Amino acid sequence: MNRHAPRLAPELDALLEDGRVIERVPDVVRARLLSRAHATVAAVAAIRRDPIPPVRRRSGLTLALAASLALAIGAAAAAATLRGRAPSPLPPAPSAIPRTDRPAHDSALDIMPLSPTVAPQSTFTAKPHRSTRSATAQESYAAEIHLLTRAQVAYASREFTDTLALVAEHGRRFPSGRLAEEREALRVRALAGAGRTEESRRAAAAFTSQFPRSILLPRLGDP
Amino acid sequence: MGYLRLVHSAPPAPTPESACLTAFDNDLDYIFATLKRLGAAPYEVEDLAQEVFVVLHRNWRSLDTDRPLRPYLFGVAFRILCAHRRRWSREIPWGDMDADNRVANPANPEGSLESKQSHALLMAALERLPMSRRAVIVMHDLDEIPIAEVARSLSITRFGAYARLRKGRRELATAIRRLSRGEATA
Repeated sequence: MNRHAPRLAPELDALLEDGRVIERVPDVVRARLLSRAHATVAAVAAIRRDPIPPVRRRSGLTLALAASLALAIGAAAAAATLRGRAPSPLPPAPSAIPRTDRPAHDSALDIMPLSPTVAPQSTFTAKPHRSTRSATAQESYAAEIHLLTRAQVAYASREFTDTLALVAEHGRRFPSGRLAEEREALRVRALAGAGRTEESRRAAAAFTSQFPRSILLPRLGDP
Repeated sequence: MGYLRLVHSAPPAPTPESACLTAFDNDLDYIFATLKRLGAAPYEVEDLAQEVFVVLHRNWRSLDTDRPLRPYLFGVAFRILCAHRRRWSREIPWGDMDADNRVANPANPEGSLESKQSHALLMAALERLPMSRRAVIVMHDLDEIPIAEVARSLSITRFGAYARLRKGRRELATAIRRLSRGEATA
């Protein structure tokens, strides 16, 4: 095997012998890496089963529009301030996270919804400070996420009956929750997956009328 | 609903995925050791090992199960580390900057080759080798993988592998001598 290579010097050979020992990876690191590996496998499986539709581009466009709108509002506020009109706090940037504490709107934003998942924010009204939000609301949101995540897992596992049960539970506990739109979209897809075509069609029609601008609309027909 | 997709847990994995995870678990120590021997910094080994798994998982179904897995894993780790170096070479100094300090001031200079620092000495010497020759040395002299398999894994000719091995061994011996004498720079 080594006919083309020089023989190793004894001291180098001894050093290499020492270097051949392979240390064991610490258990905590091993567990972390295996967890990441499992997550990778799950993500790949989910993507294969549920490919990301081209609606993503539209979502990007929506975000770009939202950013442009935020810039325009900021510019208008700055101009108003410079002109000496009633100064007002700068409007917050649009958030992609749905919110329930939507204050009453008194501006053009009411007639220009950014997108169904990008909730219109208050424009020139004072935004409730983060610290004033009740812990109950946050806990409620966390519970919503937890419940809908379970439903999503059940859907990904093609357990449509369980999915529908979880969706129904979410509907009972959070009838007008922040994730109602996602819940209803999941209900449509779960019904379709369970082969309840007619109910799925009715649910899709209800979803369309309730959320006519939803970015989830194109996905309702996905398997 | 995209954020929900990010957080949902794994559906029941089919058999190939389970086999891939098991193989990764079995050879995780080897992957870590290989990345360190090739010069990966401690803070980046874990992420690089994860990248190795991603490649392994992607190619798992097309792997020849009759061949040993470690040469393949070595080749993947080598390429990932090289790509990582190319990406970050402008921002991050190459190699372990503390290596010279660790070896240049050993606690017992007279018996350094036999001391507990011999492993650190070898690693520091390996860091002084160019990546192409270091890979051949690590694979053949440390992992004891036959040179034909080394050439195959690194996509080079057998003659080229022998040439790198010869030159690499000379450079390694020189680096060890210099480090043992306490010369901080080659």
